[in-house]
Amino acid sequence: MNLLIVEDDEGYAEALRLELGALDHRISVATTGPAALTAVEQDDFDAIILDRMLPAMDGAGVVRRLRERGHRLPVLMLTALGRSAEKVDGLEAGADDYVVKPTPATEIDARLRALLRARGWADDSGDDTLRAGDILVSPGQHRAWRDGRVLDLAKLEFGLLTELARHAGSFLTRAMLIERVWGYDFEPTTNIVDAQVRSLRRKLMAVGGDDPIVTKRGVGYMLRT
Amino acid sequence: MASLRRLTVVFLSAFGVATATTGYATFYASRQAIVQLVDRRIATTSSALLSEAPAGDATAILARIDAFSRRRESGDIGFELRDAAGRRLGGNVTVTRALPAGFSTLRISDRIAGLSAGRVQVRDAGRGLRLVTAIETEPIDGLASARRRYALTGFGVIALIVVAGTVAFSILVRRRIQEVRATAEAIIDGDLARRVPVEGGGVFAEQAATFNRMLDRIAALVEGIRNVGGDVAHDLRTPLARLRSRLARIVASAPDAATEQELEAALAQCDEIMAIFAAILRIAEIESGDRAVAFVPVDLTAVAQDVTETMATVAEESGHHLEIHAAMPAVVDGDRQLIAQAAFNLVENALRHTPPGSTVRLSVTEVDGTALLEVSDDGPGIAPADRNTARRRFGRLDASRNRDGHGLGLTLVDAVARFHRGTLDLGDAAPGLVATLRFPQR
Repeated sequence: MNLLIVEDDEGYAEALRLELGALDHRISVATTGPAALTAVEQDDFDAIILDRMLPAMDGAGVVRRLRERGHRLPVLMLTALGRSAEKVDGLEAGADDYVVKPTPATEIDARLRALLRARGWADDSGDDTLRAGDILVSPGQHRAWRDGRVLDLAKLEFGLLTELARHAGSFLTRAMLIERVWGYDFEPTTNIVDAQVRSLRRKLMAVGGDDPIVTKRGVGYMLRT
Repeated sequence: MASLRRLTVVFLSAFGVATATTGYATFYASRQAIVQLVDRRIATTSSALLSEAPAGDATAILARIDAFSRRRESGDIGFELRDAAGRRLGGNVTVTRALPAGFSTLRISDRIAGLSAGRVQVRDAGRGLRLVTAIETEPIDGLASARRRYALTGFGVIALIVVAGTVAFSILVRRRIQEVRATAEAIIDGDLARRVPVEGGGVFAEQAATFNRMLDRIAALVEGIRNVGGDVAHDLRTPLARLRSRLARIVASAPDAATEQELEAALAQCDEIMAIFAAILRIAEIESGDRAVAFVPVDLTAVAQDVTETMATVAEESGHHLEIHAAMPAVVDGDRQLIAQAAFNLVENALRHTPPGSTVRLSVTEVDGTALLEVSDDGPGIAPADRNTARRRFGRLDASRNRDGHGLGLTLVDAVARFHRGTLDLGDAAPGLVATLRFPQR
């Protein structure tokens, strides 16, 4: 991916550049809002990683300006921990996702991939049935099947399967799953995602077939397509 | 120090006794003065009368009595003459009882016409004759009782004014004290911006102003400490994240299994430290009150169900029984995220501090406008003396010092409870611990 990092903390920007570079991305860095806007006009980026706190023009202002100019590329906002309000107005300004600084490059990578894949689809929030391999999920009917057999899932297991199916083929990180399946902005001490995946996995395999969920250590989970 | 009420009572009693004593003394003294004056007039008059008649001559004395009765200056004086046998010989009054010699007091019960109270003198008029001279001590009827009434009314009004004044003063002082107390209570509840109202001038206003300046100072210090904690956690997260990603990179290319295991352990420790920082920052965020704007109706039962479903697998794997007792929705105004996090912390604590085979139970109930979320277990519990330590920041009990967890779990739950104007109580589930979160409902 061709990425633009907008971050005024040069040390952090450099660390991110190295780590994301190691994951085969091409990286440009801008340290101010206006510089970022100029860079977007000159180069064709796949996504932007944007710090919420910037001198002169803040992150929310940059996103707003980008959207006004018709740029639809995904924007991942970086926010400080413990400032919930920042997340809200970042998203309201038009950012697609946010992470709390400092975030490992693997987390940013996974989120950007998920964002880019989501862009490829039309509206996926409707009643459409989701398919991943031999697994079918109908969010509208609140039912799921594997190989034609009905799966008996609890509420959160169903939510987890739906989210994995919606992004089948992409890795979803623990933080992403906690945000999207549970709707929490905190991570409990217990590894609740791993536990929930274990119980979902048990139920998926109980009706027969291989393990459809791939675990990538230090990154997250993916449902096979 | 004596209480305000006791001081008021003592003051009013002392005042009452002093007023009553003064009143009685005044009344008594003026009465004595009148008696002395009247006695002197009686003595003068009877001596004058007897000096104008030969001693023992009843006819002459009666004639004098008659003359005295006619005179303007002695027309109000009563006389009676009796012989040695006590027979009445004449006079302008009739005495109905035997009077002692010398001065004595007449009352209305003596039934002397036209006399309600007075003084009387019985003296020898020669040859066994006895002259009775009586003068009224009350120039108008019922003077004594009128004087008593005036005295009581006068002193009563004074006493009333003093009592009313004292009560008003005591109410004023009490109100000021209550204002200070309400401010202190609000600050205990977390509203560090609350101040005592400063009204008018004088010592109370000065005291309120000084109290407020003290609160300003405390607020500044608290803010400073809060920022230091938050800043340290915040600033350390970046280098720690770098350390973590460096370790993660090395793990991927570890030369052998033993090294990999060591590195994995180091990674896990990094995550633990990150979790502590996250908890510190979360508590700081809650205590700053910034999240209050996000209050929405939250169903505790729904929160408890999510927590139970999420933790069911974890509990099963550690050999615990996790139960939920929540039949009815219990809606409170709050922050769903924080309430869920508090519930998670309580369940995690219960699982961590009870042996396999124990039962952990979540329950949601409503009692009189208060919604309760309880997590109880049948494990070893916490001794009453240790319960406050348990909720203090990093307050780990000796028994749990070697287990997982960072000692901020209950601190966070406590902060969440106070943030919702609720409470966290740790009690005895006999056996085991019961942690109760109380939320006020609308």
